[in-house]
Amino acid sequence: MATITCREFLSYLEPWMEGERPQDAQAHVRTCPNCSSVIKDLEMIHVEARSWSASERDAPERVWTALRAQLEQEGLIRETIPASVDRAQTAAPRAGWFAGLFPRLPRPVLAGAYLAALVAVAFALSGPVNKRVNEARWLKGTQTSTSPLSAQLNFAEQNSNSYVTRSNPVVAASLHQNLAIVDNYIALCEKSVSEEPQNEVARDYLYEAYQQKADLLTQMTERGENVQ
Amino acid sequence: MSSSHFVPAQWLPKSNWKTAGLLVPSLLLCSVVSAAPRRQEQHFKVAAHPVITIHNPNGLITVKAWTKSEVMVISTPASDRIEVDAEQMGNRVDVSTRELSDSVAPDDMRADFQINVPEDAELQIHNDAGNVSVANVLGDMNVETVAAGVDLEDAAGYLSVKTVGGSFTCIRCAGRIEASSISGNFRLLNLRSYHVWAQTSSGNILFNGEFLPNGTYSLKNYSGVIEVRFSPGDSFDLSATSLKGKVNNEAKLTPSPHQRHFMPRWGNALFGTFNEGRAKIEMTSFDGTINILKRD
Amino acid sequence: MARTRRIDTGELLEAEAIRLAQQGDAAAFERLYRLHNRRVYSLCLRMVGNTAEAEDLTQEAFLQLFRKIATFRGESAFSTWLHRLAVNVVLMKLRKKSGNESSLEELTEPDEESGGPRRDFGGPDLRLSGSIDRVNLQRAVEQLPPGYKSVFVLHDVQGYEHNEIAEIMACSIGNSKSQLHKARMRLRELLHEALRAQAREDRKAASAETGGKD
Repeated sequence: MATITCREFLSYLEPWMEGERPQDAQAHVRTCPNCSSVIKDLEMIHVEARSWSASERDAPERVWTALRAQLEQEGLIRETIPASVDRAQTAAPRAGWFAGLFPRLPRPVLAGAYLAALVAVAFALSGPVNKRVNEARWLKGTQTSTSPLSAQLNFAEQNSNSYVTRSNPVVAASLHQNLAIVDNYIALCEKSVSEEPQNEVARDYLYEAYQQKADLLTQMTERGENVQ
Repeated sequence: MSSSHFVPAQWLPKSNWKTAGLLVPSLLLCSVVSAAPRRQEQHFKVAAHPVITIHNPNGLITVKAWTKSEVMVISTPASDRIEVDAEQMGNRVDVSTRELSDSVAPDDMRADFQINVPEDAELQIHNDAGNVSVANVLGDMNVETVAAGVDLEDAAGYLSVKTVGGSFTCIRCAGRIEASSISGNFRLLNLRSYHVWAQTSSGNILFNGEFLPNGTYSLKNYSGVIEVRFSPGDSFDLSATSLKGKVNNEAKLTPSPHQRHFMPRWGNALFGTFNEGRAKIEMTSFDGTINILKRD
Repeated sequence: MARTRRIDTGELLEAEAIRLAQQGDAAAFERLYRLHNRRVYSLCLRMVGNTAEAEDLTQEAFLQLFRKIATFRGESAFSTWLHRLAVNVVLMKLRKKSGNESSLEELTEPDEESGGPRRDFGGPDLRLSGSIDRVNLQRAVEQLPPGYKSVFVLHDVQGYEHNEIAEIMACSIGNSKSQLHKARMRLRELLHEALRAQAREDRKAASAETGGKD
């Protein structure tokens, strides 16, 4: 059999690695330490890379959390309500349409309602600032935007209280105490905004205080659901 | 012993008294033992970067790193009305506490955990009350509590801590730190973190760590004290604003040459650069006090 | 007790999960994510080299998937379809980074002459055995052009066959084989360069030591 040169072996290299090994190429590899070395190198690279898949890991949970939030925001998904929760809801009728609706509305729906209100706030706050300051208009705009949100939060607060009393007393006490803290801050921020309607810092704090309250109420409701 | 054969105690022979004397306390002891905490130890073999999740209503959770490719969970429920489930799915170990009956008293809903994990583990911990301590774990972490305090030592990665009233202490940690609370106090000491975001409403924030070049440090509260400590060799660009409170500063700042900061029309504010201004520090309070003090 | 709501999908098969996801079922979405996130995330991580970007890209890939899932008709395997989306998301990102809108073909390094192995083939034998460890190879992979990197990761790391890669990368099977070969040869060169650099450093250190002793 005529032997091939290293240069000629180059054209065999790619199919060689795919498993095609003609006789003359095999003969060359047996006798050529350099070409043999190249093949060993390529095989080692392949083997080492294959071992990496064993250490592959899941994406951090926050990726799913963010993805899910995005999907909900885009209205691409709807919550599947497990049958057991559905049965429990039917077995224990609640007082009032809102109380009955409230547990069925998971955090995303509540968040959506708050988001809508907050968008209204942001819209009101982002209006053009004229050279001539009209503080009354700013104040009215802010109040118009935030009062529905405030009312909704207060309503949700009334319903969440009854759930929390059934949970761990330390946890319940902490939640109630911190709710009072947040309510106090909301009052302070609202007062500050009414005194200085164009104070962006005060309005930012008010916005964040509402968000905190919404988050806290959601936590209180979740604990209530699980306690039942 | 049936009622038809009941013999009044004073008629029992003395040997029976002796037996009764031993039997009754034994019965009592058995009943006490059966309600005593049942310690449970479980081991799970894992590969690199395992994920460990813990859901617990109340208790002390201590997580430490070790060199084994294994997760060890030692749980001690407070009563036999709750049970600890620990199951493994692939490279993920889920630990949770659940009620065994519908009417479990709040005091019985408690379990303590001692967990050893590989140092590259990712942790997700939910514990409403009690305490959470994590040491020497270098994977990402997400800890949520209501009243439980959180203590992290020598941790790294993406550290996210959220409490309602629990305090948060972070010592010698690195990576990225995000912490929020309503009334919890934060102590951030000896950090080597390039990104710190800490927000508490009525709690105090103490930051005494390194300001890494290009690091960002954002500390915010409504009321209380925000305090950072600095050394002469530090380099940062500072923005400190308190709407209704004071700003006390010991750093000799130079005004920013390109006016990076928008001067607010309300409150007390302080802006400037210390040395080359490599890190960025932002401190904001509604009516609390902001202190920028020299390190001792 | 505060507990994240767990979605019990039981043993929901992928086909059923796809069908339900097409109707917007949240549990089905999660099932699909749990089934595939590891491979997608690993692919993104290998391609961009840092976890933060890999997370963003993973999220973007799944977002695109779920936006388009209603149009999936089963012409190809679901995983192939997903990985195609993921690869495109990654390559788009890399193209933006490089500042030009290159085609996939252009995202490979032009080789000299016929595009085959370089001149040092058959040169001095610096054996790589013992030098190919995870760290060295990972560094070398990071230096690969995006097109080579994609094919190498899909084939050698994640174990896809060439026909699958061809579908994912929208290229021919022959092209996939060719890109893989070039990627491996390039990696070999990079590892050799690293080995030579290390040998130079060692010699420098050794001569500095003996020079000091004189």
